[in-house]
Amino acid sequence: MATNEQTAIIELKHIDKHFGSLHVLKDINLTVHKGEVVVIIGPSGSGKSTLCRTINRLETIDSGEIVIDGDILPQEGKKLARLRSEVGMVFQSFNLFAHKTILDNVTIGPREVLGTPKKKAEEEAMALLKRVGVENQAKKVPAQLSGGQQQRVAIARSLAMHPKVMLFDEPTSALDPEMIGEVLDVMTELAREGMTMVIVTHEMNFARRVADRIIFMDEGRILEENEPEAFFSAPGTQRAKDFLNTLKERDR
Amino acid sequence: MTIQELLAQFGDKYLQALITTYQLTFISFFLATILGVIITVMRVSPIRPLQIAADFYVQIFRNIPGAALLILLVYALPYLNIVLPYFTAVLIATTLIPSSFCSEYLMSGMNTIGAGQIEAARSLGMTFMQMIRHVVMPQAIRSSVLPMTNLLVATMLTTALASQVPLNPTDLTGIVSYINTHAVGGITAFLISAVLYCGTAVIIGQIGNQIDRKVRILR
Ligand SMILES: Nc1ncnc2c1ncn2[C@@H]1O[C@H](COP(=O)(O)OP(=O)(O)OP(=O)(O)O)[C@@H](O)[C@H]1O
Ligand SMILES: [Mg+2]
Repeated sequence: MATNEQTAIIELKHIDKHFGSLHVLKDINLTVHKGEVVVIIGPSGSGKSTLCRTINRLETIDSGEIVIDGDILPQEGKKLARLRSEVGMVFQSFNLFAHKTILDNVTIGPREVLGTPKKKAEEEAMALLKRVGVENQAKKVPAQLSGGQQQRVAIARSLAMHPKVMLFDEPTSALDPEMIGEVLDVMTELAREGMTMVIVTHEMNFARRVADRIIFMDEGRILEENEPEAFFSAPGTQRAKDFLNTLKERDR
Repeated sequence: MTIQELLAQFGDKYLQALITTYQLTFISFFLATILGVIITVMRVSPIRPLQIAADFYVQIFRNIPGAALLILLVYALPYLNIVLPYFTAVLIATTLIPSSFCSEYLMSGMNTIGAGQIEAARSLGMTFMQMIRHVVMPQAIRSSVLPMTNLLVATMLTTALASQVPLNPTDLTGIVSYINTHAVGGITAFLISAVLYCGTAVIIGQIGNQIDRKVRILR
């Protein structure tokens, strides 16, 4: 997919961010192109979540510029809300709306934010729920579903907004092992269909399989950026080598 | 006087008193809930002056004694050339105080929601008001049914303040003093009012429990 005329969907330029005195993001520069799947890995506390969350301004930044499909992300206001709706986000803890049915969880965004009529929103939602394999749960509430099912609904909820890019922050980390596969399958399918994705994960086999590019972060910096085969077979930095070794230890 | 004698002579007065108490109770509670929701939205809004004003409001009305507020409304406001009918003055007092408690209950109801859902709403592109309307308030209200039930009972008891002003028809507490100035009702006159208050409270409690069971959010 590396053509000359790639469209940049996300451009991060010289992003810096502090939490108090803690410098969590240090001069981050990253461009994600249309249809690209970028996987961010790195040790705990390296700033992966924070980076993900700055992309739709769930976290503010101190300096730098975030461009979503050509539009500079503003600090606040209606324009920010609109641009946010173009960036889907899937969280570790699913975060479905506890009081709404599965169907309403998926229709609420389109109906309220995009102004989609109820009937159309419901048809689209049912199609999406079918796509992620939970269409027969539509009338239930989130607490009645397994974690894996909830996460698939969360993905459907984001997709219902027709986002230009999807962000995933450790989408399988809160799941029982037997449910990880079903969520990764949905994500693999999405990637195959050409969705632009930024994924934070510790699932290295999955990363190797679906990523076009691996970003390795450490202490708030992007230390390495490479194609998966190259990265996993020959990491360029000692930090990355150490990190991959600890993962191997863990999986043993 | 026996209960039968009292009811024979003052039965219709008791009925009117009960209606007055119910009117004050339910109108106040209705208005207090609306005010409570508005105050709560202000307290969680991103606009600092609104937060401060709403917090101040809650501090004032959560802490002022009902009788003091009623005295202010009835005796102090006329100095500002505002003369309220007695019923209105009582209604205002029994609305403002419960509204601050309502806001407190909604705030703790909100704490059950969790930051994750708020972030999910924001990342869908919802505005603050959309988030409040569709995600925050419905859950806050549904998890506050039991405290709000208690608040309804407390509001009813607060309406006894009405006995401090000359209302006609008077309320369930006022009727006791009325009877005791017109006849020798004694403790029995009070007993009838007490039974009516308690009976109503029990019914409210039952209904509240059932509503809570119906709307409780599975987590
Ligand atoms: N809201 C916050 N306030 C203060 N510090 C924070 C906040 N959120 C994160 N941090 C700190 O910022 C650093 C980066 O956190 P971040 O969550 O981005 O790391 P991460 O790479 O996602 O780690 P993990 O793999 O554990 O999820 C950490 O040191 C963390 O403690
Ligand atoms: Mg994280």
